This record gives sequence, structure tokens and C-alpha cells, in this order.
Amino acid sequence: MQFSIATTLDDALAALAAGSRPVAGGSDLVVGARHGKGSLPDSVVAIDRIAALSNIESTPTGLRIGSTVTHAILMEHPDIVNGYTALADASALVGSPSTRNIGTLGGNVMNASPAMDTGAPLNVLGASVELQSAEDESHEVSVASLWTGPGKTSARPDELCTAILLPHRPPRSGSAYVRLEYRRAMEIAVVGAAASVELHEDGTIAEVRVALAAVAPTIISVDVSAIIGASVDEATLAAVAAAASERATPISDVRASEKYRRHTVGVMARRAVEAAAKRANGEHIAVPVNRAVGVGAATLQATGVTK
Amino acid sequence: MTIAEMPRFVRADGPDKVTGTGRYIADLSLTGMLHAKLKYAGISHGRIVAINTAAALAMPGVVSVLTADDVPDVRYSPGVADRTLFAKDVVRFEGDVVAAVAATTPEIAAAAVAAIEVTYEELPVVGDLEAALKADSPLVHDSWQTYESGETVQGHNIASRSSLDRGDAKAAMATAHTVVTSRYVADGSHAAPIEPRGVVAQWEGNKVTIWSSTQVPFDARSGVCETLGLPTSRVRIIVPHLGGGFGGKCGFHFEAHIAALARAAKRPVRLVFSREEEFRAPDRRREGMIIDITTGLDADGAIVARIGHALLDCGAYIADGAFFPQLAAMHISGPYKVPNLFIDASLVYTNHQPSGSVRAPTAPTACWALESHTDELAAAAGIDPVAFRKLNCVDTGTEGPTGQLFGEIGLQRCIDAATSLAGYGTDLPDDEAIGVSVGWWPSFGVPSGAFVKLDSDGFGQIVTGAQECGTGAVMTLRQLAAEELGMDPENFELVYQDTSAAPWDLGATGSQTLFNNGRAVIGASQQIAEQLRELAANELEAAAADIVLANGMASVKGSPEASISIAALAGIAAGGELLLGHGSGTPPEAPEAVGTTCVGDQGVAAWVAPQFSCHAVHVKLDRDTGVVRVLDVSAAHDSGTIINPVGASGQVHGGILMGIGQALTEGTTYADDGRQVNAGLLEYKLQTAADTPEIRLEFVQINTPNAGPHGAKGIAEAPNVATPGAISNAIAKLVGSPVRQLPMTAERIWEKLDGGAQ
Repeated sequence: MQFSIATTLDDALAALAAGSRPVAGGSDLVVGARHGKGSLPDSVVAIDRIAALSNIESTPTGLRIGSTVTHAILMEHPDIVNGYTALADASALVGSPSTRNIGTLGGNVMNASPAMDTGAPLNVLGASVELQSAEDESHEVSVASLWTGPGKTSARPDELCTAILLPHRPPRSGSAYVRLEYRRAMEIAVVGAAASVELHEDGTIAEVRVALAAVAPTIISVDVSAIIGASVDEATLAAVAAAASERATPISDVRASEKYRRHTVGVMARRAVEAAAKRANGEHIAVPVNRAVGVGAATLQATGVTK
Repeated sequence: MTIAEMPRFVRADGPDKVTGTGRYIADLSLTGMLHAKLKYAGISHGRIVAINTAAALAMPGVVSVLTADDVPDVRYSPGVADRTLFAKDVVRFEGDVVAAVAATTPEIAAAAVAAIEVTYEELPVVGDLEAALKADSPLVHDSWQTYESGETVQGHNIASRSSLDRGDAKAAMATAHTVVTSRYVADGSHAAPIEPRGVVAQWEGNKVTIWSSTQVPFDARSGVCETLGLPTSRVRIIVPHLGGGFGGKCGFHFEAHIAALARAAKRPVRLVFSREEEFRAPDRRREGMIIDITTGLDADGAIVARIGHALLDCGAYIADGAFFPQLAAMHISGPYKVPNLFIDASLVYTNHQPSGSVRAPTAPTACWALESHTDELAAAAGIDPVAFRKLNCVDTGTEGPTGQLFGEIGLQRCIDAATSLAGYGTDLPDDEAIGVSVGWWPSFGVPSGAFVKLDSDGFGQIVTGAQECGTGAVMTLRQLAAEELGMDPENFELVYQDTSAAPWDLGATGSQTLFNNGRAVIGASQQIAEQLRELAANELEAAAADIVLANGMASVKGSPEASISIAALAGIAAGGELLLGHGSGTPPEAPEAVGTTCVGDQGVAAWVAPQFSCHAVHVKLDRDTGVVRVLDVSAAHDSGTIINPVGASGQVHGGILMGIGQALTEGTTYADDGRQVNAGLLEYKLQTAADTPEIRLEFVQINTPNAGPHGAKGIAEAPNVATPGAISNAIAKLVGSPVRQLPMTAERIWEKLDGGAQ
């Protein structure tokens, strides 16, 4: 196997053009190879030392997150925690402290696992990725059109994900990601759901987006437009749960049956909407929601979250 | 004294392990060393039609390839000789070893293994325990009747069978006021040590040295000697640091395969397992079970009779499981006063991975069933579950299920202590509950040996046959030697484990290390103490009997100014008769089972120095998903005198966490073809540090008759017994009835809730 280290973006793009696969944290590539998912590529280029890829910066349209920013950074970065909280929720749940310290958002996005924790948040936050190759100018692709199947993206092999772009958040908005988990570390989503909610002054829903993890070949969004204009009450949340369960097309495997996944993804979706609405309403729910409300062991109402 | 007040204890192997300087099998490298890979059956049941190794042998870098034809034709295994090193004629589970390769790199070895062609005639897979017993079921071992089986009682697909029969259970049941019948079904689970096993073998002349990650080096040596036809003088087993075992590294496993490969290749050979191999290949996993229990109570709620029936999944080979049925029967009886008892238990051959001793074999599972059943009994009798246990559990001076008369035991005190620590009886939110379970576990009195020596500077070595598997038991030996000699524990180096250097010991199994090897080390130290007293008596012109050894000094009783340092005495001894001690001592004898007939007796129907425990577990249930979290665990243990409180607490904490895993998330799933579906740490869900609940602990230390050193009992396995039962009872309170399946996964709990009806 050939292994090179790129210190500039141009070096990395040249290596990709020559057939190399990029590696940053290696938490998917190496672990996948060890578990027989696929052998390591013949040629690998390390991109984790390219300084230009590791910044988080404000732009006129929102926030630009360099593709090698780690989960450990994301879960504590004030702009993410305050503005794009669902992404912080998800980043804080990924693997273990060591996984979060080496795993990158760009790697996560380009690995395109339908069970990825950061995927549903990126979907509801309206994220797009910046792809660049040696041949072409960089261009943007929405995450929804990037992910085409398990482990599959619409990106060409010579294209590198250089950044993830998040649009500005409207006022009175909040987001959350909630995951069903059987244990509190080294867990993979059995099902997960993210929500972004924007409220009117009167507390009714102005805008809402819901996306689901691990219940379809890709991260999928749920049409919940029916609850726009409604207040966040039991009937609304029940409608969210029903819509999510209906939209899901889960499989049965050793982690859970199709029936259980379909049910619990509805539970996660309603909890995500509920938490996102509370955040939109200015209530503080610490990152990650799973820990703040003890998901798996408590419902949101029982936590006494305060304004 | 509370645990917090007890002195801290630094393990001798702690700094090496924590800083990464410790060396494990995978760190060993010898000049010219080759890498081994095993060829597994990959199917669960099949007749070998042909094995073609030609393509593998022809690969550059492949040095040797072995099959059954290349090793002595020996059937082995304790209890029933049902196994050969390499599968001959028939493969009986997916991890059966068909061939072994030694090559210059691990990659070449793997490629060579893939190039070995084995043609099978597939045979029907035996996977269902009840179906396996039917007369028309295919046999896992069709020539089982020809196997050497000693005292083990066998039958159609039955590897070992035992029953306990006391009084007249049937007649007493007919007179009972209340009768409750329950069925519980448990999946198998894994020991899952953090270090996958490894073996390195090197021949010099006609002798072989084998470095192995085994908990039982002398047993491993016996296996090598038996299967390769060698005397013990030509086989030496050395264990470097061991990265955990939990029973999974008990027994003889792959040492002989690698020794045979090294002999054929005329070069050292190393085998290091992948995590997947660690899941699929060893003959050690916790057995799945089907348990039926019927208990009759009198009008006051006292147990009058119990009839139980258990089927245990043996897997393809018996490994060390011959005693499992009898032990399971003891746990289905439990530490209760049961005047009339009939329990029948069978270890059933299937085409699954073989089961074997994992931490407290049979106990957490059988205890889970019994203790869940016990809460059902209490409910039927209209008695609080704790009060029911206080009424029915054994106590000092009462008889156990097989007529064993108990000396002073602390079970009733454990129930009081654990429930008090848990705040049992206080009001809890609707989604929380506390479940209580009692447990018990034997100590094992067996032979064991150690040497102790002091060198000229007054520093010494303890050369022990005992094996440290991470529990800290061997580490605690320094304390015992130091106490006998009035020295500092840090003055002693521990030398373990080398079968050619140290006396025999059973190994890190059966919670027996401190119980037996402690006796040996104390005996050896006492010999040196005797020598030191003689030397001091000579130097101080006093009677040897008046010499006191304390704080590194030998002094005359009543005249502390008349003293000499032990180091000075060691210097004197170095010029004359050396300071050498050897110890073994007589193991405490197990009591007799009286008034009980034991069919298939395996010697575990009456227990020396029995340990008792009570766990009270506080859980929270998410009713929408069935996910349960353990909030806190209150544990009280009678394990006799606690010699090393830090080590003992660690054992309880670890046992509880393992118990939580077995209760909630850890279970092996088999496909219909007999293969494991979740053979990896992603899908086989161990508990993590982040899942650890608050643990409150009290040791009920009583004066135990006929116990180990200073009144100690065992401690490594007992904490793993009661937790799943307590969790089951807490969940049952929230759900309305027991889940009856182990592990009690979120989905299984959800099925019992409203969601199951959807």
C-alpha cells in the first residue's frame, strides 16, 4: 500500500487525481478494513495535516466547517452548540472520546453510513458540502443529494470534501438530535432522529424539518409540514411520531427488528421535535439531549428543563 | 471499618499495565518467528470428505500446514474425551479447527488458510435444546457411547446430566397451599476479555516452551502433554501479563496446535487471535439455558417443595462443563430452605460453540431464573419479596438444599445490608423500581504450592504457581508473606507464571487463588520466619520462641531494644543455610451432602466456605422504548475476611458491571445454521465505563469456619451471580411481570409493554 501525507490542498487533490483515497481520522476506513467491510485502498493520502481544512469560520451565508474538524471540537464549539445544536448533540454521541478526537465531520459525511449520527442533523439544518478536485472549481452539493445509498455518494473519486456549509439560523429556532441507544458509549444508532423547529412569536410552529437515521438506505427526511401552524402539544408530537414511523423503511437485524425500529424512530422523532421546540423557545437543554434527558430512561417532560 | 477507611493497595503489576510497559503475548517476538493462522470449519455440522492443502503449501512464505493426520490420534477433554486437536471426519461447530498454517507473515498465513480446500457433506444442525433430546434428533457425536467419560452420566445428545433428590418433592408439592410454575430462557454470552488470546511456541531440542495467554498454565501444560504425548518435563508454559480472562481463558485451547506447528516448521510460531476469532473459536462461552421451576409454599409462605428442570447448551464439545448440570441444579435450588427437592439438569450437545467456565459458570443465569421465580412466589404468597427471602433463605445452623449444615454464614445480614444501602421501601417515581436478589457461590479447596526466598539484602521473591488474570489475587500474596515475616509487601517480587519454576496450582479459576495459594505462601513464609527466629535467637542470645518479627526487625519479646534487622539476618543466612521456604498445606475439605441423592455427582453438591450475597438494583425504565438504565446497585457480600479491600471491591464492581451486561445487552444470537450472528464488539454489547452506575458496597465479614487464609473465602466470581436476577425483579415491578428471556433487551421489554401489542 502507498501512503502519502499531504500538507496542502493542492497536494491532496493531486493525489486523489492519481487514484489515492483520502484519510483523516481513519475511524471508518481502518476499522472497516479490519472488520472485512473492504480491504484498505492501494493508495492512501492523509489530509489531516492540511491546516486549511480544519477551521470553523463564519461566512456571509452562515458557517463553514472544514472537513477535518473533529467531533470533539464540534460538540463544544460555541457556534455549533448555540446555533446548530443538533450537530453538537450528534457529535457528542459518536463512539468514544478517542473516536471523537480522531473522527472528522468530512469523513463522517463522505462515508455515507445511513446510521451516521451527524447525518440527520446536517439534513435538517440544510447543510451542503463543498467538493473540490484538481480538475474543477469547487462546487456545493446539498447533503440530501450527496447521499445516494449505504456508503455511496454522488461525489467523484477525485473529489475531496473540503468543507460542510451551514446556512444562517432564523431567530426563534432550535434543533436537536436524539438517538436510541442500548448503552452510553461505543454505540451505533439503532435509530435516530433530528429536528429543526422555528417558532412564531405565539409559540406555534413556523417551520419544521425532521430527518431520520438508520431506518433507510440513506438519511431520510420526513414531511411534517402538516404541523406548521400548530402548537407543540401532544397531538402535534403524536403526528410527528406517526409520520416518522410511516416514512421509515427499516430492516430487521441483530440490533433490532423492523417493527421495533419503526416504532422507536417515531419516539425519537417526537422527542427531537420537542427538544428542538424547547430550544427554539429559549429553554436550555444541555448537549447532548440524550444525556440531558436520559434518553432510554426519561421523557422530556420529566426533566424539569428550565428557561 | 468502611472500605474508604481501609488502607490503599498498589498492585505490583499496576504501573506496568497502566503505563504500557507491560508485555503481553502479542508483544513477544522471537528470532525467525512464523505466524500461525487456523483453518476453521465455517459450517456448524458436516462430514469432511476431503482436505486439499496442496495450494496452501505451494504458496511462497508458507512453511508448514498441519491437519489431523500430522498429530497423535488422541481424544481429550476433562469429563468426557470428545475432542481432538484437529477435526477428524466430522466438524461440529463453526470454529472447529480443521488445519493450521505457519507462514512468514500473518497475511500469507491468512491467504494460505483461505487456499486450503475442504469438501464437506453437510449434516443437519442441532441447535434447539429440546429438539436435541428427542429420539429422532441427529446426534452431535454419533459414537458418544465409545468415549471415555469416567463418572459423567451421558445420554442421547446429553454430554452430562445430574439430579438432586431430597425428601419427596412430588408428594410435598401435592400438599402445598400455593404452587407457582415458571419458565425462563437465557441466551449464551461471552467472557470477552479485552486481550484476544495468543500463543507462542518455541522448541529447543526435544523441549518446547510455550508462552500462552492462559488463566490455567498447568492445565494448558497437561493438555499439551496429553495431545502431543510428551512428559511434563519437556513442556514449559509461561504466561506474561494476561489481558483479562473472566474464565474465557481457562482450559487448554490452542497451545498444542502452535507447538505442533513450531515443531514441524522448526521455527518459533506465534498465534494472535482477531476479535472475531476470540468470539467464535474458543471452547469457552456462557451456556444458554431453558429453566423450568415449580415451587410449592405452605399457607405462611414457607417453601415446602421445589421441582426444577434445566437444559444447558453444551455446544459441540464438553470442555470443562461436566459439572455444570450439578452446579446449575444447586443454583436453581438456591440458598433457600427447601425440604423437598427434585432438580434434574442436562448439558445438551448442540452444533454451537462449546460452552465452558465463564465467571461463576451457570450461576448468574440460573440465579436470574430462580430469583425472578422467587419474586413470583412472594407475589403469589402476598409477601414483600425481601420479607419472603428473609423467611426462606438459609442462615447459620440451617441446612442447605443437599443437607449441608451451615456454620456461621452471613446471608441474612447481607439481605439487611443491601436493602438498607439501597433505601429499599422508599417511594420512587413511576418509572423506577428496586429489585432484590440473593446469590451464593462455593469456595474451592484444592492443592496449591509456592516458594518464598529471601536474598542477602533482605529482599525476596514469592515464586508461585498461581496465575494472575487481573483480579489482583496474586498481587495480594505479597501482603500475606509480609505479614508472616514482619516485612513490607514491597520487599517482595512476585515470580509467576512459569510451570517449570513454580509448584502446581489450579490457576486463575474457581476464585481459588488466594483461598489456596494464600495458604501455600503463608506456609512457605512461616518456614522462613522459623529460620529467621533461629538466626535472631543466636544473634540476640534469646530463645527462638521469644523472637518477634515486625517492621523489618527481629526483636526479643518484651525487650524491643534487643533487636536486629531482618536484612542483617538475611545477610548472615547468605553465608550459611539460605532462607528458602516452600508451602502447600492441606486444603479445607468440602462438607458432605447428606440426605440427598445426587445422580451424576460432580463434587459440587456441598460447598466449602460458601459465599453469600444480596444485590439491590435501582433501575429506570423508558416505557416508550423499553430501554432500561441501572441507576445504582447496592451489594452486600459475605466472602469471609477481606484481605485486600481495594482488590475485593474491584471484583464486586466488575462482577456487577458484567452482570448488568448479561442482564440487559449481552447475548449471543445464533442463526438457524448454528453460526453466531453477533461475533464482534459492535453487535455484542458489553457495558462501558459510561454505563457504570453508582455502586454501594458492604462486606459482611464473619468468622468463617473451615475457610481460606485468615478466614477468607473466594471473591472473584460471587459478585457476578446476583445482579441479573435483581435487575429482572426491578423490571418486573415496572412491566407487571418478568421478561423471562435473558438478556432482557430493550426490544424484549418493549414487547411485554403495550408496544408488543401493536
